[in-house]
Amino acid sequence: MATSTTAVPLEETAPRRSEGQWAIVFRRFRRHRLAMFCVGLLAVLLLLSAAAPLIAPYDRDQPNLTGRFLTPMGVDADGGLHILGTDHLGRDYATRLLYASRVSLGTAFTATLISSVIGIVLGMLAGYFGGWVDTIISRFLEIVATFPTLLLLLILSAILVQNINAVPLPNWGASFLAFLFAVSEREARIIFAVILVLAFFGWTGTARLMRGMVLSVRENVYIESARALGASDARILFRHVFPNALPPMIVDFTLGVNGTLVAESALSFLGFGIQDPTPTWGNMLGYAQSYMFQYPWMPLIPALPILIASIAINYIGDGLRDALDPRQRG
Amino acid sequence: MAGYLARRLVQMFLVALVAAICSYGMLYLVPGGPIDQLLAERQNAGQNRITEADIRRVRERFELDIYLPFRFTRWLIGWPAGPLPGGIGADWQIGCAVPGQVRLRYPDGRVEVVEEGCEVPVTMADLEGRKVSRGIVFGDFGMSQVMLRGRPVTDLIMTRLPYTLYLMGVSILLSILIAVPIGVYSAVRQYSRFDYIMTTTAFIGASLPSFVFGIFAILLFSVLAKNAGLPYLPPGDAVGVRDYTIPLIGTVQAGSFLDRFLRFLMPCGVLTFINIAGWSRFVRGSMLEVLSLDYVRTARAKGVAERVVILKHALRNSLIPFVTLLAGILVALFSGALITETVFNWPGIGRLFIDALSRNDYNVVMALLIINVVLLLIGILITDILYTVVDPRIRLT
Repeated sequence: MATSTTAVPLEETAPRRSEGQWAIVFRRFRRHRLAMFCVGLLAVLLLLSAAAPLIAPYDRDQPNLTGRFLTPMGVDADGGLHILGTDHLGRDYATRLLYASRVSLGTAFTATLISSVIGIVLGMLAGYFGGWVDTIISRFLEIVATFPTLLLLLILSAILVQNINAVPLPNWGASFLAFLFAVSEREARIIFAVILVLAFFGWTGTARLMRGMVLSVRENVYIESARALGASDARILFRHVFPNALPPMIVDFTLGVNGTLVAESALSFLGFGIQDPTPTWGNMLGYAQSYMFQYPWMPLIPALPILIASIAINYIGDGLRDALDPRQRG
Repeated sequence: MAGYLARRLVQMFLVALVAAICSYGMLYLVPGGPIDQLLAERQNAGQNRITEADIRRVRERFELDIYLPFRFTRWLIGWPAGPLPGGIGADWQIGCAVPGQVRLRYPDGRVEVVEEGCEVPVTMADLEGRKVSRGIVFGDFGMSQVMLRGRPVTDLIMTRLPYTLYLMGVSILLSILIAVPIGVYSAVRQYSRFDYIMTTTAFIGASLPSFVFGIFAILLFSVLAKNAGLPYLPPGDAVGVRDYTIPLIGTVQAGSFLDRFLRFLMPCGVLTFINIAGWSRFVRGSMLEVLSLDYVRTARAKGVAERVVILKHALRNSLIPFVTLLAGILVALFSGALITETVFNWPGIGRLFIDALSRNDYNVVMALLIINVVLLLIGILITDILYTVVDPRIRLT
């Protein structure tokens, strides 16, 4: 304080170097054993999918009509070992699964990232400025909420995938996505269309949540003091409102990744999302379903990663929620 | 109240109209529609020769020969269906059956064919005698274009609706009957072994995608059980076409009650489990909240029996938030569980949507989409009204 005149040695008043906010969060999160285990699981899945082109034993699309429906650990006519067997065209299941993880997880993360950014920005604008900005954004949200999401996802996906040329994506974007997902540029365009569709429907929940958070953060005294000190709207939004409204968004993002992953799998499973020859967990499961009566192990191979990823992400979200909740002491 | 209702109804009508316009635009403004589909089908069937007449017929069936604004109003309100009274406007051109083609020859020798003008126009008089719906605003969804060629969409929906109502009705009823007691019990015994098992199961059940769950069910109860020689369940369809024998049960006649019942078990079970997972958590949460309120403590302090406290004082109030689920239930009853119906090949509305979409039967797709939106809006309205009934503190203004 400026008025304080008592001479106190600096070392005594200066607080002990306290733990940062994120260090506390991390410490709390680490205590959630199951969530930590799930982080490990997810990391393994991500690593495998990142290394797919390096460790895949076979060519992704190479059919082998003499070696169809091999059982796991089966050996084809040329003496090649297929750890997870082969599919209905004789393509190596392990190879396709590795590439599929890359496409499925990558799509889920990218789409959720886009929809979170849109949701957070719109929610922040609506919550902070209020007035007509809020009215427009909120009404739009309400209208989007009355549309049956799954039906629209299916329709849009069906339309866009049929007309991938209608999707605006510059060539450099296509090659970037092709690199990201380890697919050809043509396939990357289809994946991009599906990402767009998924992102378009994911942002409404985030926007609503962010708007609510901003509405409550805005009333804090520190915002008022920042404004009294002459901070601009932009500074208040990014330095004060955004960091304080962020924690629930992290949980929302995590659960959003799960939602998108399941949605993409469902779309591809039903045949309206990403399609053969691009492998995803969903469309592999879709094909496996047709052959499950003769070859009952087939659906298990793509279904288990979906289950593991989905449950793991949910538990991580749960752990994060506990760790980020400021009402919890520790 | 009357004013409120009137305002809400007008609002609902507007939202439904926006939904109708959006879905129409979405389906028809994109290039590559039914014609492309037809060409692809013909080519796949080995009929490479598609005549001018074929294309004209398809264009007429999908009304592609009428300009978009008129096509839209015909679909929306059934107008124009012919010349105005007194033959006015009989020769107004409102569409084009055969677009004119112009060959452009560039100086460098390239030849390009572009569509320009109109060779055979469609006039108001041509519309006379063509089938037209009364318009979706008046509840007529028009004709199915592919699946039941030339028959009303309503017929198609009516053949599928009973299956969905039956499946969804039974599973929703079962889910409520099971989820409420589970939720209440695990709230009363919070942190007990039962509660722990229940919450974990519900957590996994809620994060389990329904199609994965459905496939696991088929794998376990149909494929593996059959291979192991155990009694098994038929894996799909609502009615069988051939008799089959199940160990311990004997021969099941196709189409018999037993056949229908066995085929119903799995889809119903999957849906019920998924619903229970979500709803029991919901009931548990709201029950926990109510149990910590003052009036519950007061009731206990007065010496009211614990049974009565839970069933009469707490349960009744904890079910109030359940009303919010009603809007979703109304829609679910109609539209069915799209994915579960597809996995089990159940011939309900959800399947119909998937089939119509994959075969480009746009009128069916739009009809289902709009019915869905309207039901959801009605559901939300009913929910809001019910809220004032269960909680008199809430007033509609």
